[in-house]
Amino acid sequence: MKNIFIVIIVLVFSSCSDDFLNRNPKGNLTAETFFENEEHAVWATNAIYANFRSWEYCGLPYLGATDIVSDDADKGSTENDGPYLKEVDDFQFDATNQTFSTIWRGHYQTISRANIAINRIPDINMPDALKERLIGEAKFLRAFNYFRMVQWFGDVPLVLTQLTDDQYFTTKRNTRTEIYAQIEKDLTDAIAALPEKSKYKAEDLGRATKGAAKGILAKLYMLDKKYDKALTLCEEIISSGEYSLMPNYNQIFTQAGENGPESIFEIGSVALQASIVGSGATPFNMVQGVRGVPNLGWGFNRPSDDLIANYEPGDPRRQATIIYVGEVLPDGSTIVQDNPEILDERFNQKAWVGKHPGLQDNGPGNIRLLRYADIILLAAEAANELGNATKALEYVNMTRKRARGTNTFILKDLTITNKDALRTAIRRERRSELAMEQHRWFDLQRWGIQNEVMTKVGKPFVANKHELFPLPQTEIDLGGGSLSQNPGY
Amino acid sequence: MLLNKCFRLKVLVLLLFVASWIGAQHKLKGIVKALATNETLIGATIEEKGTSNGTITNVDGEYEINLSTGNATIVVSYIGYENVEIQIDGRKIIDINMGESTVLIDQVVVVGYGVQKKSDLTGAVSSLKGKELERVTTPNVEQALQGKIPGVYVAPTSGQPGAGAVIRIRGTGTLNNSNPLFVIDGMITEDASSVNPQDVESIEVLKDASSAAIYGSRGANGVILITTKNGKKRKNAQLSLSSYYGIQEPIRYIEMLNGTEFARAYNQLRGTQFYPDPTIFGEGTDWQREVMHSAPMANIQFGANGASDNISYNFSANLFDQEGILKNTSFNRGAFRLNTEMKLKPWLTLGNNTSYSIIKEELGPNVVTSAYRTPSVLPVYQEDGSFIDPTFFGLALGNPVADQFYKSNNKSNSTNLLGNIFAEISLLKDLKFRSNFGYNVFESKSRYFEPKFQVSASQLNRADRLNIGQGNGRNWIWEQTLNYFKEWKEQTLGVLVGFTAEERKNEFFGAGRESFPGTSDDVIFLSSGNDTTMTNFGGASDEAMVSLLFRTNYSLKNKYLFTASMRVDRSSRFTPDNRTGYFPSASVGWNLGNEAFIQNLNTFDRLKLRVSYGILGNQALTNRYPTSAIINSGLNAVFGPSESVNQGATPLSVANPNLKWEVSSQADIGMEAGFLNERLSLEMDWYRRYSYDIIADVPIPAFVGSQTNPFVNTAEVLNSGIELGLNWRQTGVFDYNIGANFSTVNNEVKALAQGKNEIFDAFINGEPATRTTVGLPLGAFYGYQVSGVFQNVEEIASSPKFGNEKPGDIKYVDTNNDGVIDAEDRVYLGSPIPKITYAVNFGAGYKGLDFNADFFGVHGNLVFNEKETSRFAVYNWEKRVADAWTADNPSGSEPRVTNGGHNYRPSDRFLQDGSFFRLRTLSLGYTLPTSLVSKVKVESFRIFVSGTNLWTRQTFTGYNPEFPNSGSPFKVGFDNGSYPIAKSFQVGLETKF
Repeated sequence: MKNIFIVIIVLVFSSCSDDFLNRNPKGNLTAETFFENEEHAVWATNAIYANFRSWEYCGLPYLGATDIVSDDADKGSTENDGPYLKEVDDFQFDATNQTFSTIWRGHYQTISRANIAINRIPDINMPDALKERLIGEAKFLRAFNYFRMVQWFGDVPLVLTQLTDDQYFTTKRNTRTEIYAQIEKDLTDAIAALPEKSKYKAEDLGRATKGAAKGILAKLYMLDKKYDKALTLCEEIISSGEYSLMPNYNQIFTQAGENGPESIFEIGSVALQASIVGSGATPFNMVQGVRGVPNLGWGFNRPSDDLIANYEPGDPRRQATIIYVGEVLPDGSTIVQDNPEILDERFNQKAWVGKHPGLQDNGPGNIRLLRYADIILLAAEAANELGNATKALEYVNMTRKRARGTNTFILKDLTITNKDALRTAIRRERRSELAMEQHRWFDLQRWGIQNEVMTKVGKPFVANKHELFPLPQTEIDLGGGSLSQNPGY
Repeated sequence: MLLNKCFRLKVLVLLLFVASWIGAQHKLKGIVKALATNETLIGATIEEKGTSNGTITNVDGEYEINLSTGNATIVVSYIGYENVEIQIDGRKIIDINMGESTVLIDQVVVVGYGVQKKSDLTGAVSSLKGKELERVTTPNVEQALQGKIPGVYVAPTSGQPGAGAVIRIRGTGTLNNSNPLFVIDGMITEDASSVNPQDVESIEVLKDASSAAIYGSRGANGVILITTKNGKKRKNAQLSLSSYYGIQEPIRYIEMLNGTEFARAYNQLRGTQFYPDPTIFGEGTDWQREVMHSAPMANIQFGANGASDNISYNFSANLFDQEGILKNTSFNRGAFRLNTEMKLKPWLTLGNNTSYSIIKEELGPNVVTSAYRTPSVLPVYQEDGSFIDPTFFGLALGNPVADQFYKSNNKSNSTNLLGNIFAEISLLKDLKFRSNFGYNVFESKSRYFEPKFQVSASQLNRADRLNIGQGNGRNWIWEQTLNYFKEWKEQTLGVLVGFTAEERKNEFFGAGRESFPGTSDDVIFLSSGNDTTMTNFGGASDEAMVSLLFRTNYSLKNKYLFTASMRVDRSSRFTPDNRTGYFPSASVGWNLGNEAFIQNLNTFDRLKLRVSYGILGNQALTNRYPTSAIINSGLNAVFGPSESVNQGATPLSVANPNLKWEVSSQADIGMEAGFLNERLSLEMDWYRRYSYDIIADVPIPAFVGSQTNPFVNTAEVLNSGIELGLNWRQTGVFDYNIGANFSTVNNEVKALAQGKNEIFDAFINGEPATRTTVGLPLGAFYGYQVSGVFQNVEEIASSPKFGNEKPGDIKYVDTNNDGVIDAEDRVYLGSPIPKITYAVNFGAGYKGLDFNADFFGVHGNLVFNEKETSRFAVYNWEKRVADAWTADNPSGSEPRVTNGGHNYRPSDRFLQDGSFFRLRTLSLGYTLPTSLVSKVKVESFRIFVSGTNLWTRQTFTGYNPEFPNSGSPFKVGFDNGSYPIAKSFQVGLETKF
């Protein structure tokens, strides 16, 4: 008897029983088996790009926090649809509006993926050149996200590593200065590590480049009013020979323009044949798609009357930016019909995509985040601020020339040299060129004219409050009291 | 001396002679039967009162006795039944019906890995006999338990046919899975939904540490032991056939705005006369009645039961068919069971319990929420007969009737083989070895075809699509136990030692294609679809455990009882360092009723006190690998002009390798008593469950970047309360019983880990509706308090506010008196956990008539009407909005009509009283007299009518205020539109032959 007990006890506590009890998740790698080789480093980096296509990142809340909140666009869709975006459009929102919690979550998830790549890839045994590039890509992507966050929310927690559980509830917001410094550092590292666009193999086109890192850093300097540094970077991009304006403005946002000569940074999307929502797709196109007949999407993000008024007479960019009722779609497939449920509907043509496999939500359009025209106009803006009107005019007339095409009666070259007048003209040109590309709100902020512009279009904008969005109430609640709220909320 | 002895002997012989001589004067015979079941009782004792003259009944329940006189009185007794005394008054034939005694002193109850006499128990074990479940018309045993046992709270998960129930034993002691452990004939399972109530012999609920600790790491939420029927010894097999047919209807409908009222409200929302004449809509469409209907249900069961000296058997076959009250839902089950036990040698018994069931389900779309939401001004169809497109009121609206029409080709087929085989060997006279192998093999297949259709921009399917799924599981457990039991004159000793090993494995895969050449089920198979549209997926999971167990019971003079137990569990869910858990318990009992000083009081038939304490564990996480950091793949990036998809993978979630067992220390003090010849019985318990190291995936801030919340050992929760069970039973020609039970739960969070003060969850419109914090119950409701409605701008100007309020908006309470309303004004609003649950049962029988009524109620909890708060489009409103504030209707309670925003913050406006009192079952039956049916060789024949959920008293405006939510403990009591439960009415018959 005694012996049987001993046998059983040995059985239960022996390593033989440990073999029986050691079970691993099925169908997944685990932390113990990941970050071991080159392939893993590439996968971890690719995963950062993947999140740019998620709803949290580029869906309706993102459009609410960029175009709809600005004077470029109204909520769109039917009157009753998407009431939280109506609140954003009308400046009636508070910290509980899901717009803010969604973009906050989407961007921090992307930052977390970048942090993992940046912190884990250095220990992998793999070729140095590739290792350096991948870390560079991850740093660029992290900086890109913090740049957006700081523009939307001001001070935010600067998370650079995997936080431990005690930090979840003690982390505080870092100052704007600290975040700027980190963005600058990440982008400087990225500029050093990343190749130019032309140095990538065709199948890698779309990965972060030296030019893209310089472009975002230039934007940071513009925001920080370091115009000389910004101009230097813009001119490095211009003189690199890597980019050119596409001859036809109409083409930039068609499939032909994807990763084209004007593209500095964009997120690739594809509608795979075999799936309902493919693993390469985005909701970005669907939420802005024509609603009604033809039925291509939800019809949000309506180009505003004020935007239309901004275009100079005959500017062909208006037609290229807006889909009107009665218009033939860019692929010639059909005429857009009036939808009786939407008053005076218009749609964002820059998010339009042609016939593709799967349903609306299988959006195949690449999401353009930085293009050459943007850099040229930043150069113009910087040059003017630095008092170099000649240079400013040279740059601003580049985009006008392209827009004008062969029609010499419209969009004549600017000749103003008065600094203030030229500033106004460059701003107007910038709006026409980049309308409905989610830049406007950030531009208004950079220029410090949010209050003036939004009040002018009749929004109840509250100065010293609405310049920044509120931190999501969920985040303040979950943060256990360590996160403060922006003024006025 | 010698002479003296001889004399006595002679007198004795003489007496015997006289007795037999007198006996010859009066011969009595008859049959002894059980009153309730009409079954004959074998081995019942018939004694002539005041003599030693007696006999027992034979295998047919017949007796024959020679009595000393025709005026004698006989006493009939049988274990578990009330003694019957009859004056024979010269009769020659007396058939005797015996009523079961309410509390069975020597009733044997099943405890983990063995059985014990009820009087020897030192733990809190409640026992329910199968007889009490036989007449319940629910298809599974889980729902049948509602209101039957004090301290066991049962609520249906939904009204979906075949749905199970959420069961809580003594409150919610974890932030995690709080379901009790089910042990079906020794096989450990996660639910008992496959068990047919009519197959059940007994159900034992192990409520305290002393009884449940033998299940160690899985006993913390209590254990429910289900024993299925085995054969009973009789001359011939008993065959039985029973059947019922019923009709079900929704328990009630929610009162919504009718067409006219909605049109008025919509005008108020827009501030225009959008509908110039709201009255043209009249009542409008009642969408709830469009998607629900009254639905039939039917059950038929055949059984064969018997035993000879060496073999006993029980066979049953069952067919159950239920349509759901929501159209296009149904549940159909065919099942059989065979239990046998064979005494092969005096020292060897082999046996098995086997059940096999085949379930077919129709899983129509759950359109309860969309029916609730769709505005009543819309008709179901347009004039041309096509479905109306409701998206004028917002993209988030789909036509629920169209969904039922297009999305109902959704079927599931599953099979489940569950059982055990065992061998029992008597090693020595008092020592038995038992080896038990339990198994559960199941498979389910789903098949969903959605045709191409379009109702609106958001309610459409561009290509017809077939998705199939298949899952299977194999679970086994192998237990080796040694049981020693020795009885001396004044002492008994029992010792159990054992070793068990078990493994669970699941695997699943699925595939789909689009575009099929036809729409008939014969055509739609994967290979007929377009192969460029194919998708597939698959995965698996497993877990394992090994355990040692030990228990000893000792009793002295049948008065002083002691039990101690210990289980050691090693689980695959934790890392080797944290894998082993030790779960001890100890308890004592004192049968005061056997002490002379109590017996002298002549008050108690029985009185026992018991005290227990023990440590139990919990590891019941849905995640079987909670400590592993998973690398998520499929995070693809698209690069290059050819738009190739590049593999991406990274860990999306934070893991915690230091995770360990959840532990709960439980104390129980109990008292059991019987009075007035056991007509009145009473059982009382006080308990205290202190759970700590509770594992939870606590919500963390989003800036951490984790896509899921990590599991941590986080909190401490105390549940305490009392349970009271009271029964009165009177047997006789008019036989009746009244039972009542009552239990309380006081749930309180005692600590949260790592200095965290609060856990917010259940986010409603961007704000948490629950806040779990020390000193309050788990998942306590949280939000703003409403003080009224702003009547005018002056009132707004002079009151604390958010800032954008207009006349007619809700006025919230400035709880912190800082002059503004903001997030700081949110406060505790109440508890989702019922403070009291209670039940009352009546039963009566008179000359073949039987009547039964079960009532069940809960009290002291609130329900959050979540469905009223989500407004992603303009949905219909509940009736109260008809009284919304307008300048002409200065309502003080109902704000102006708005669609989201200020008036829809989580507040006490959406909290309702969750108390209810319900007539669970009501039945009336009639058993035909034996004299009548025996002529056609039928042993018994009963017809009955019964009803379920026929009457409910509640103030809650939804269907049914039971929202136990088996998932997160931080979000309990939220009504977001689940499948309503039904009330039903049945007629049926039962016959035995």
